[in-house]
Amino acid sequence: MIYFDNAATTKPSANALSKAAVYLTEQYFNPSAMYREGFELHKKLKETREKLLSFVADPSLFELIFTSCGTESDNTAIFSSARRGNAVTTQGEHAAVQNSFSELKMRGIETRFASLKRDGSVDEEHLLSLVDEKTSLVSIIHVNNETGAINDVNAIAKKVKVKNPRAIVHVDGVQAFGKLPYRLSKDVDFYALSAHKIGGVKGTGALIKKKSLHLNPYLIGGGQENGLRSGTENLFGIQTLFFAAEEKYQDRERKYREMTEKKAILLSRLSDQFVPIANGSPYIASFAVKGVRGEILLHKVNDLGLIIGTGSACSSNAKKRYSRVILSCGYDEKAADGVIRLSFTDDTTAEEMEQAADILREQAEILKEELK
Amino acid sequence: MKKVIIVRYAELFLKGKNKGYFERMFVMNMEKSLKGVKHEIRRVSGRYLVEGFEEDQAEEVLSRLQKVFGTHTLSVALVVPTNAENIFEAAKELCKENGTFKVDTHRVDKSFPQSSMEFSAWLGGQLLALHPNLRVDVHKPDFIINVDIRENGVTMVFSDFIQGAGGMPVGTAGKGLLLISGGIDSPVAGHMIAKRGMKIECLHFHSYPYTNLQAKEKVEDLAKIIASYNGGDIVMHCVSVTHIQETIHKNCTEDYMITLLRRFMMRIAERVAKEVGAQCLITGESLGQVASQTVEGMTSSNAVIEDLPVLRPLCGFDKNEIIERSRAIGTYETSILPYEDCCTVFLPKFPVTKPKMKDVLAEEAKLDVDALIEEAMLTYETIEL
Repeated sequence: MIYFDNAATTKPSANALSKAAVYLTEQYFNPSAMYREGFELHKKLKETREKLLSFVADPSLFELIFTSCGTESDNTAIFSSARRGNAVTTQGEHAAVQNSFSELKMRGIETRFASLKRDGSVDEEHLLSLVDEKTSLVSIIHVNNETGAINDVNAIAKKVKVKNPRAIVHVDGVQAFGKLPYRLSKDVDFYALSAHKIGGVKGTGALIKKKSLHLNPYLIGGGQENGLRSGTENLFGIQTLFFAAEEKYQDRERKYREMTEKKAILLSRLSDQFVPIANGSPYIASFAVKGVRGEILLHKVNDLGLIIGTGSACSSNAKKRYSRVILSCGYDEKAADGVIRLSFTDDTTAEEMEQAADILREQAEILKEELK
Repeated sequence: MKKVIIVRYAELFLKGKNKGYFERMFVMNMEKSLKGVKHEIRRVSGRYLVEGFEEDQAEEVLSRLQKVFGTHTLSVALVVPTNAENIFEAAKELCKENGTFKVDTHRVDKSFPQSSMEFSAWLGGQLLALHPNLRVDVHKPDFIINVDIRENGVTMVFSDFIQGAGGMPVGTAGKGLLLISGGIDSPVAGHMIAKRGMKIECLHFHSYPYTNLQAKEKVEDLAKIIASYNGGDIVMHCVSVTHIQETIHKNCTEDYMITLLRRFMMRIAERVAKEVGAQCLITGESLGQVASQTVEGMTSSNAVIEDLPVLRPLCGFDKNEIIERSRAIGTYETSILPYEDCCTVFLPKFPVTKPKMKDVLAEEAKLDVDALIEEAMLTYETIEL
């Protein structure tokens, strides 16, 4: 089996699992408890928090809050920040942000959406033109989950702050964390990440926030995470996230380079029936396949042991069928119908790329013939 | 106070010598629908009493029994040892504080000292004294307190007559094979025929990889809802028509895709029906609803059936009438989930609405019908839900 849907979720790292297992089996105490066993875990949690944060940010400027998932991190940042005036985001956001903006609108906040360029990244000029003195929040996806398009979030954040220093900048970093060589600049206020996209387990995420910034907690209760996110800490999930991230951030630049090379192998073996949608993150390859419906190709290659993702569903309901992100990039419905997404991890091999390319090329050709 | 549910049955009283058989099926279906809930069913003078359940399960027992075909009305009754004071206590529980009412006493136990009329008047007076805003109206009361004084020293007191599912006990009218697509219509058709006492099995055609696994799961979910009306269980048969569709697409005129496909489906359906002992086919076709459901379309698909009747209970219904029924039986929300039963890639832009038999046969002659059916039957699978 070749698993090429790592943007949906990844296989948990065996190394991280085995290192973290002790927090399930023996170190099960409540970190908030007063006895020594609990207190030791409290200290461990503090240490882990600092180390994890230091992979991408300056711990003297930023702090990190553990959450249950990327969606919770996004929601926490958005609903805490957008409390007046208008909120600005892009047309290329994950549902966790897109639908939160729909909710903001319901709550009476004006929402503004910046258009995308053909390569899937946000049109910076348009985005900046939407920011004014009444903007309370600007939310930008770092790497788009469907196309892999990268936004230069530090640069955009800087320009946003020039226009309105009071606007809060949130970055959805779920598809970038552990993959892109990147550090948060001082202009970024919030950064959301998720454990299971990088070899951790489902049920753990984190929100990095500027220390000086006020945050309205989304969950209220026992006062864990400095009162910013109540609920007994999921120490196993947190430790698994840390160990997985530690692996990822070792030789990050080299791994990124290698991934770029491996992706090039795949691209070179596919026919021109496969039109690449964006040339962004090497961890995601998105194509509009000519003359084929993405989901049908997904099923065909599934039966041959290749697992891929798709941007469209086999539905006659246009609203549900076409990806709004792909349409926003300027592709027509016919092209959007044939969108597939392949997504990788550092463990993906060149051989897998070759095999997958061959299966895809052949099946797409057969399908095109059958449906002619 | 002990609660029981009184079940009154519908048309069974019309049956003569067969009545015993119908009643046995009815009890069996009630038993099946109450699987997993502690209960006892007793037959008492022309109706059934369901008792012995935990008090907090009364609602669940009631809602399950409401789906059993053959049920006319149901009532949740309080049971007390017969004496005026006990009956008054039970009536107090059921009595509302305002509006109009009357008391209806039915006295089987003739040793009870008062006559029915006298007791109704006494009990009504007690309740009026308790709630000053109540008024008596014997012609059109807002609610009725029914008092049923039984011969064995107990009395049942109840207020509402709750509408049951009606119809005949499932299993008393043989077995039919329902062609189920995943849309709104076919589950409603299945429900209507099950209502007349027919045990339903389902046949679903899918086109994987052109349709997805979720679409099939959706049909399973629909079948499970029908199962609750079908004596608690249902068998679903599945056959892939992918290769048939591909072959038609390759060889025949595009406009005939649906017409030809339906003929294949009917042939396969009759074959499956005979294998599983079903005595008819049931479809959700409604006259003129879509291109293939014209009388010409039905003629074309019916022509391949050898022996079995094809029941099309929805033929005279409008779409919104079907939707209404679908909501009432609880299949609508599942039916409208956005998964396709038959992938739109093969849908012709202009399907023939009035296929001429001559043309249909000419198109079909381009295909090896028997071989395609044999091949499709290799994908045959059965799921018990």
